[in-house]
Amino acid sequence: MSISYWRLKDRYYRLIGVSCEDCKSEFFPPVHVCRRCGSRKLVDRDMPRTGKIVTYTELRETLAGFEDQEPMLLCIVQLENGVKVLGQIVDTTVENLSIGDKVKAVFRKIQEHGSSGQIFYGYKFVKA
Amino acid sequence: MKTHYDVGIAGYGVYLPLYRLPTTEIARVWKGGGAGPNKEKAVASIDEDSSTMAVEAARRAMDMAEVSRLGAIFVGTESKPYAVKPTSTIVAQALGQHFVLASDMEFACKAATEAIQVIRGLVGSGMIQNGLAIGVDTAQGRPGDDLEFTTGSGAAAYVLSRSSPETLATVEAGVSYVTDTGDFWRRQNEKYPRHLSRFTGEPAYFHHVETSVKQLFEAYGLKASDFTYAVFHQPNPRFPVEVAHRLGFKAEQIKTGLLNPMIGNTYSASSPMGLAAVLDEAKPGDRVMIASFGSGAGSDAFALRVTDAIEKKRKKAVKVADLISKNTKIDYATYAKFRGKFTK
Repeated sequence: MSISYWRLKDRYYRLIGVSCEDCKSEFFPPVHVCRRCGSRKLVDRDMPRTGKIVTYTELRETLAGFEDQEPMLLCIVQLENGVKVLGQIVDTTVENLSIGDKVKAVFRKIQEHGSSGQIFYGYKFVKA
Repeated sequence: MKTHYDVGIAGYGVYLPLYRLPTTEIARVWKGGGAGPNKEKAVASIDEDSSTMAVEAARRAMDMAEVSRLGAIFVGTESKPYAVKPTSTIVAQALGQHFVLASDMEFACKAATEAIQVIRGLVGSGMIQNGLAIGVDTAQGRPGDDLEFTTGSGAAAYVLSRSSPETLATVEAGVSYVTDTGDFWRRQNEKYPRHLSRFTGEPAYFHHVETSVKQLFEAYGLKASDFTYAVFHQPNPRFPVEVAHRLGFKAEQIKTGLLNPMIGNTYSASSPMGLAAVLDEAKPGDRVMIASFGSGAGSDAFALRVTDAIEKKRKKAVKVADLISKNTKIDYATYAKFRGKFTK
């Protein structure tokens, strides 16, 4: 596992973001300074695991290492707390997607480094 | 085997992948037509493995159990994504549970009931408050082998806690029986398991399941008619029906937990998933028997009593019947891509 991924695994595994203790704004990915009020009092917060599709696209040419997952569907999801998250949507086809569809976060394999390397896990979305 | 404190199920959760391969597809490719003994089998997608399915089932079980801390996480599987590196630590991380005893158990299709037996001991001795036992597999058969018809994917998870008004079933008794029997195996570095064909039946499945259930009956003064439901390991649709008949169970006692015809053999998850299907509909006071089978070989048998908490708890259940009926059919080529059967 790359060091940067290992450091961020709670973000990827559990959708852990942050909440501002002063103005209650929530952020994902986590930030160090509140983008709304400038406070540095930020605490870890589980993001809601459900939301709706804001927009989506289909990739037929992906980055190296993701070829087996083509065609790949990417979406921006607005979670129930209003936070917008970028992620893959799986177990469906582009024909079955619409803006506004309800989705939920699931735990999936993101990528693996061949048959002998490490496996990277994280959140993706499926239609709810 | 009895415990010092009574142990019960605080929550259960099942995960089935979306995709189904009709066995007519396997027969079309390899046998020139026909079908397998089961209608379809559940197939994990290209981005799913035993870790991802274990996490999904575990999250559902934890949602129902409503416990904040676990003392142990055991994952029973024979399809570990890593040969060396536990699946249980991936589950622990995904659940945010770190002060746990975490380990993977391996005993072919009975690894999960083994995990249940061990967690039962840890909870029943007072060493831990709550423990999580998961059965999960992405079972693989060699392309063209008879095993390929039935090898399916799925997961079932159980949170065990000390019996209380919050536990939905009490584990009244449990026994384990093993012998050294070479019915099915996979050597180190081999991709697919091998089996001794007909050896799978009498000396393996039937001998071990019958012996463990008879031992459960004898040791605890029970008989088949004491149970509302019985669940057996399901390597195919026929074996559980036959063994139930031999042990004196009637067809209506086993039909709820018999899932193989729709999803195949989910290995470690097979009998635990059948138990979940039973808990989806059981009433307070019902007695349930579950008997697993693992090649190599052995069987764990348990007697459970459903409690009043079932009605409240299962409002949170994602029902096994719904998971089975929500599916997308795939062809053999898609299955081969998903399960890594092409060499690139």
